[in-house]
Amino acid sequence: MVTPEPQAHPAAAPAPVPAPVTAPVPAAAPADDDAPDPAAVAALIAAQRERVREATDVDGRLLFGVWGVAWLVGFGAQWTAFLPDPLLPFDTAFVVFGALLVTAMVVTAVHLARQSTGIRGTSAQQGAMYGWTWSLAFFGIFALGFALARAEVGPATTNLVMTVASTLLVGALYMAGGAIWGDRTQFALGAWITGVTAVGAVVGHPHLLLVMAVAGGGGMLAAALAYQVQRSRRPVA
Amino acid sequence: MAADPSEPLDPVIHSQARLRIMTTLTALCEGDRITFPKLQQLLDATAGNLSTHLRRLEDAGYVTVTKGHQGRVPSTHIEVTRAGRRAFEDYVAQLQALLTPPAGTPSGVADAAAAREAATEETR
Repeated sequence: MVTPEPQAHPAAAPAPVPAPVTAPVPAAAPADDDAPDPAAVAALIAAQRERVREATDVDGRLLFGVWGVAWLVGFGAQWTAFLPDPLLPFDTAFVVFGALLVTAMVVTAVHLARQSTGIRGTSAQQGAMYGWTWSLAFFGIFALGFALARAEVGPATTNLVMTVASTLLVGALYMAGGAIWGDRTQFALGAWITGVTAVGAVVGHPHLLLVMAVAGGGGMLAAALAYQVQRSRRPVA
Repeated sequence: MAADPSEPLDPVIHSQARLRIMTTLTALCEGDRITFPKLQQLLDATAGNLSTHLRRLEDAGYVTVTKGHQGRVPSTHIEVTRAGRRAFEDYVAQLQALLTPPAGTPSGVADAAAAREAATEETR
């Protein structure tokens, strides 16, 4: 506690940015131990926080961008193949869809692995559990596909059930992801996809595929854009 | 404790290298620890320099350094302690106080006192 000196009058208000309170560092001090002024320190903290975020946070722009394109083009290709007057051969459409899904999965896996390398503990465990949730649930979807093929329900019904089941699951898992990480954008996207799937199911086959391409894939691209906007509004210092 | 601009900033944190270490560790989620190489990469630091500053932070009780093995490869993990997180939060609050001009309403007695104190600090 400093006793106020008589000559210090409130009128002689200090400059907006007070000088550092620590004693001046001798010129010979190593740069590492240099204590810069508060504004520079604040900027340093902000810059380092940003760097950590860049290196460890999941980039929603990348993930929803790549999945949005996969859905838009993949479901779109399927829709054209299921039209009464097909624009694409059935096999071509499925090769396109499969290639896009594999690409998106690889991008996701590489990105998540890169961002989580070197970090252990609570968030790593949370991420691993959530990852296993996706893997096991989709293992179940593949089993459903197998069951439908064996039941010989026909390509249209198989496609309808597989599409509705998997997109519902995606919507629900995004909503759960939003809840886990307090991410409103992801939660909203999940709710949107779940709703769109319900609408698509009512619309029925094959136009369900167009609904999933445009509204589902489009919703993901909108989410990617939302992350970009949030990022550009982030305070710099 | 409320941030008091007249208190000197925590000398353990108030160094460029240790400030960046503490910023990095506190930017991670609570309960997370980071491997030595990843921390080194995020700071562009040499191993020797980073070790020196980590030891200082460890001595102050701000970080814990755990040495273990990942299979056969030795691995070191660093985590900020509760005390370290507190100290960093206090440091940042103090910094904010220094950056906020203590301009007060002329009638505010407390503000005037704060302004006097800050002015004193400057003339010292």
